[in-house]
Amino acid sequence: MPEGTTLRKQSLASRLLKPQYIMVYATVGIFLLIYLYGSFRFGKLGSNDIGFNSLRTFVNMFKDNAYYGISAVGMTMVLITGGIDLSVASVACLTGMIVAYGTTKLGLHPAVCMLVAMVIGVGLGVLQGAAIHYLNVPPFITTLAGNFLARGVASLISRESISIEHPMIDSLAGFKIYFKKFSEGEWVKVKPIAFININLLVFIVMIIVGTIILQKTRMGRNIYAIGGNEQSAKLMGLPVAKTKIFVYGFNGFCSVLAGYAYLLEVKSGWNLALQGGELEAITCAVIGGTLLTGGVGYMIGTMFGVLLKSVIPALITFNGNLLSWWGKIATGGLLALFIVIQRIVVTASDRSEARAKKKKT
Amino acid sequence: MPDHCLLEMKGIEIQFPGVKALDKVDFTLNRGEVHALLGENGAGKSTLIKCLTGVHHMDAGTILYDGKEIKPTSPQDAFNMGISTVYQEINLCPNLTVAENIFVGRQPMKRGAIDWKEINRRAAELMSRFHMDIDVTRPLSYYSTAIQQMVSIARAVDIDAKILILDEPTSSLDDNEVKLLFDVMNELKAEGMGIIFITHFLDQVFAVSDRLTVLRNGQLVGSFGINEITKLELVTKMIGKDMDTIFNLKRAEIAPDAPEMLKTDDLGTPGHIENVNITMKKGELLGFAGLLGSGRTETAEVIFGAVPATEGKLTVNGKEVAIKKPLDAINAKMAFCPEDRKRDGIIGDLSIRENIALAVQARRGFLHPISLQEQNELADKYIKMLSIATPDAEKKIGELSGGNQQKVILARWMATEPDLLILDEPTRGIDVGAKAEIQRLMLEMCNDGVSVIFISSELDEIIRCSNKIIVMRDGNKVAEVDGEGCTQQTILNIIAEGTQEGGKTA
Repeated sequence: MPEGTTLRKQSLASRLLKPQYIMVYATVGIFLLIYLYGSFRFGKLGSNDIGFNSLRTFVNMFKDNAYYGISAVGMTMVLITGGIDLSVASVACLTGMIVAYGTTKLGLHPAVCMLVAMVIGVGLGVLQGAAIHYLNVPPFITTLAGNFLARGVASLISRESISIEHPMIDSLAGFKIYFKKFSEGEWVKVKPIAFININLLVFIVMIIVGTIILQKTRMGRNIYAIGGNEQSAKLMGLPVAKTKIFVYGFNGFCSVLAGYAYLLEVKSGWNLALQGGELEAITCAVIGGTLLTGGVGYMIGTMFGVLLKSVIPALITFNGNLLSWWGKIATGGLLALFIVIQRIVVTASDRSEARAKKKKT
Repeated sequence: MPDHCLLEMKGIEIQFPGVKALDKVDFTLNRGEVHALLGENGAGKSTLIKCLTGVHHMDAGTILYDGKEIKPTSPQDAFNMGISTVYQEINLCPNLTVAENIFVGRQPMKRGAIDWKEINRRAAELMSRFHMDIDVTRPLSYYSTAIQQMVSIARAVDIDAKILILDEPTSSLDDNEVKLLFDVMNELKAEGMGIIFITHFLDQVFAVSDRLTVLRNGQLVGSFGINEITKLELVTKMIGKDMDTIFNLKRAEIAPDAPEMLKTDDLGTPGHIENVNITMKKGELLGFAGLLGSGRTETAEVIFGAVPATEGKLTVNGKEVAIKKPLDAINAKMAFCPEDRKRDGIIGDLSIRENIALAVQARRGFLHPISLQEQNELADKYIKMLSIATPDAEKKIGELSGGNQQKVILARWMATEPDLLILDEPTRGIDVGAKAEIQRLMLEMCNDGVSVIFISSELDEIIRCSNKIIVMRDGNKVAEVDGEGCTQQTILNIIAEGTQEGGKTA
């Protein structure tokens, strides 16, 4: 028996520089680049002014897109299996509608309405997962149907915006954890004032939950296996049906959470809310390094994808002279850039693999 | 049931619509034995195995496993009983690490979370037991097919498997890798595992097996100890005919005034091949021999433009041509049938008709569609000509056996009526009968004036068919020998020595 029965010790560098992480590094790198540029260009305008490099601006970047971020958590998992889910924004919209209609028009407690929305959202996700697996309908079609269905039901409930006023909603929306610093013997709020709201809290918790599921549970690894090769996963005896249904169900859960978050932000339900939001969630995941072909993706990448998508509008706001549409254009450019980088990385690693294989033979 | 007997299948019968797939077949497997299961495609090998792994359900018969009667209901069920299968295709996930591929679905857990350290440690241990000291934390796709194959075996035996079924494990391995696999098989055998070995390579059967069982047309021909039977008798038993009659092939006859079809002058692409000089005549069959990665496939790829040449000249039909991409080659009346038919060749969801029409369509361009009638004529013509076993041209190609898939691909390129046809491993993974048929077809095409480049790992078939044999090594052409009167040893010596002299002195 040859030497080396124990696992070879690897240097930290070689452990970190795995090809599968490159996309995440690219996202983090580009984010830092843009952020540093903004900080340099628009930072420190005055002592009490809100500079680009202030904690407040940074936290707001998370906060502004928290509902897309929450949705992107579930979306990342769906994309890793090699699927796609186009129903998320409509489910979030339906969630808002159910809670607003139930509370304002029917006089129900919002908690009850939220629970109903949750059952519907997760139920629809599970149903979609089952249809995709058992009936072999492509995810694109299945969830496109789910998209129309949820949006249609929302419109059926009401075609007008319904505002919502309830102490519970107000207190949830008003929940704030301020960033404080210790100065002169007491805790004082940092200036400019920065705080974490409930949406941001949920987003961060979901990123952590998503990471744990993907990296620490068998279910999570089955998600990657299915994305790598579904046929193999089946023959390896992995529970493919259960996993796919879980993933779409979990994504339904995330959509409903995103719906709650959006509701807290606008305090109303509207049947045309969040149109095209599913594409925003997909964008966050893809610029975070998730491969649309499945098998590769990390929650931490998705988180930076959300940040990267928010840093551009922030930059435009600070510039002051640019139309906000430039934000869309920049996001589009960024998405194109990332897809090109993905192709380059995949091709390059294929090549180095081919070389490595040649050496061995 | 004697004590050393691990598995006893008795009177197995399976009825498929319209055909009796297995008819009263008996099969026994002992502890610590490698038992080869042989037969042509359609003989019932896979059906018998699928019966054991719970894919098919028996209509009659019993399976005794470790003295108890079992009725596996699914591969998973069989797997849990200790019956593991490694298939010809690698059924692993390329995006996961080697370690994870071994353990996915049954990862060791620690405090409710996956214990990655333990996974990597145990995987490294397992792989080193197979004499493979590799970095198990790299993605599977980083490694060669041989290593991937070992990983699937490692996965199969890590659970307490008592029976290991290897379904054509060697069809994509080179000689050294096969040897490695045999070492592993011998080790597992010594530990008391029973191994069922399915293969088309008869030499390998004799190299590693203790016993063999032959099936033909769903019926048991017999079980033999490895020393009780010769290779020739075995083939006769498998196909029910004499080997000499089926392999009675004549080399292509080249007309003395045949024009030059292809000429390369110092053809090269850095990293692939260097200074390759080849000339071949119209109607000639040129064999390419060499180890995997020696440049035999690479030369074909450069000639065909899949990897464009950066150095040298290429003359086709007396005209110097620049071939930058496959379409240039197709326009120069070349055709290339690639090595990995699963990946580069067949489109499994399309019908036979569509698969045959593909190359003709590509050549005409998409503005000139081929009418359905024309497609049907093409398909019918080649199904008849190559005797492709199918009820009709609309069957999905993915549902055909390997040999028939290969014939469809051959038909695809024959339909373009090429002057030069390059066939890379056209007989890999198909049975003796189909092999002989493909070889006969190649030779017939040569006699019709097509020049054929034939690449293969199996020296005997190269020697049997080729007019001339080019031996490649490390991206260089090291020798050119006549097919007539050449022996396997000559070529092996050339490959080993790296020069033609090495071959001559032997």
